[in-house]
Amino acid sequence: MVLEATMICIDNSEWMRNGDYAPSRFQAQADAVNLICGAKTQSNPENTVGVLTMAGKGVRVLVTPTSDLGKILACMHGLEIGGEMNLAAGIQVAQLALKHRQNKKQQQRIIVFAGSPVMHDKKALEMIGKKLKKNSVALDIVNFGEDDEGKTEKLEALLAAVNNNDTSHIVHVPAGPTALSDVLISTPIFTGDGEGGSGFAASAAAAAAGGVSGFEFGVDPNLDPELALALRVSMEEERARQEAAAKQAAEEASKEEKGGEEQDATMTERASEGASEADNKKIEIADDDDTSLQQALAMSMDEPTSSQGLQDTEMSDAAAEDPELALALQLSVQDSTKDSSSQADVSKLLADQSFVSSILASLPGVDPNDPSVKEVLASMQNQSEPQQKQDEDKAPKKEEEK
Amino acid sequence: MSAAESATAIQRNQVDLLDFIDWSGVECLNQSSSHSLSNALKQGYREDEGLNLESDADEQLLIYIPFTQVIKLHSIAVMGSEEDGPKTVKLFANREHMGFSNVSDFPPSDTAVLSPDNLKGKPVVLKYVKFQNVRSLTIFIEDNQSGSEITKVQKIALYGSTVETTDMKGLKKIEDH
Repeated sequence: MVLEATMICIDNSEWMRNGDYAPSRFQAQADAVNLICGAKTQSNPENTVGVLTMAGKGVRVLVTPTSDLGKILACMHGLEIGGEMNLAAGIQVAQLALKHRQNKKQQQRIIVFAGSPVMHDKKALEMIGKKLKKNSVALDIVNFGEDDEGKTEKLEALLAAVNNNDTSHIVHVPAGPTALSDVLISTPIFTGDGEGGSGFAASAAAAAAGGVSGFEFGVDPNLDPELALALRVSMEEERARQEAAAKQAAEEASKEEKGGEEQDATMTERASEGASEADNKKIEIADDDDTSLQQALAMSMDEPTSSQGLQDTEMSDAAAEDPELALALQLSVQDSTKDSSSQADVSKLLADQSFVSSILASLPGVDPNDPSVKEVLASMQNQSEPQQKQDEDKAPKKEEEK
Repeated sequence: MSAAESATAIQRNQVDLLDFIDWSGVECLNQSSSHSLSNALKQGYREDEGLNLESDADEQLLIYIPFTQVIKLHSIAVMGSEEDGPKTVKLFANREHMGFSNVSDFPPSDTAVLSPDNLKGKPVVLKYVKFQNVRSLTIFIEDNQSGSEITKVQKIALYGSTVETTDMKGLKKIEDH
């Protein structure tokens, strides 16, 4: 929980195009920077982090030390690769930026990502290191990327010059399968001088470890047992449901014959596809019902004069089979004369769960006890409870009007 | 006579300002971690000749001392060895958070070049008028007697008086005379 102001020096030189760190050196670096910013701001909310680039046209401060993580992440976008890294200038500008930090109580720290070869000689680096130590600035060096002769030695010398009581560290990251960020997580750069690891670092490490060791569902059961259990249970449920639906489909496919029962076929197909298609089912049901309803409407519209009588006869035919269906048809006819959208009516009809279940029951080949069908009903009911209340209000009114 | 006068003058005005130092804000740049500022400032440590404040990367030291109340600074005593003890000492009153880079940006309130006498314990009388309203003091030790890499300071003592309260010890001393 050390109160700290940190300046991160990013290497955006041409050497960062190389892909020996997945996906590219620059991208790996950016990920590491994001992680570090998060860790710093989490370990102490008053910590500030700033970012500057060392290559390109020249050393450029992208963001001065701030505790606003969003600002830092935003400035990482659209960074261009080019030029050569100027380590000395970068460190000196970082030191200057830290000097002008707002909260003078913060400890000063610079984190350098040294990916390209170091041009300066050892002496110059040692001088810089001494100056940093004199001003009580700690320095963390991430040595990755190019490894030319003397680079490691120079950086070690720089570290020795800066180091005061082990507050400064150097990390060598070789190219390989493990990501740069993952390697850094376990280093003191992240864990902050042997505090034992902030919560962020610990959880990040666990997540990384989980990914690497291939935990089921990507969640460590030790870390979050409830989540892991919930995921496992839902997977098993889904599997069971799909098996049952598939069995149903196999049974029903053998039963059905009629071409007119296109609805049934589509219904069973839908049933076998599984619960995730609940919304699609709803729309499809609406379309199919709509065709039959529209036929009824068209007939009633064609004969407006004797519409009442015709409607009644038609209604009575239907009513003989299914009184609720009749009511619904009547509702839809009356409503459509007022407002043009029959689709809305249909959806209102569907919202009436009892209506829907009765329709489904009347359709041969569909078993309302099928779990997938039940789920559709449940989801529809949940979505349309307010609508259902409206329907109930309307229904008694319509009854009275009759 | 002048020596005696200055001695009595010191006695009359001064209290050791050790009690008014705000220890939570005391800072020292470029000190060696094993030989820190407390060796030179704190009661008991500063009397011990074996315990010194030592510089680290080079011979300069920057000491920042805030006070718990406003004081007037009369004189300062810096003790050290003849070779490694400090030579040029610059004092800045009421400058917060100075760094080595801006010590030359503005003139010091006073500068003292220490002689071997001073290093033995004789206080340096300062320009009193410059130190009438001191909230914090920055001591910049620029070099040492022999020009060696490490400056060693055995004791730093500040003498003066407070502005707001009358110090009873001070009053008593006057009455004694």
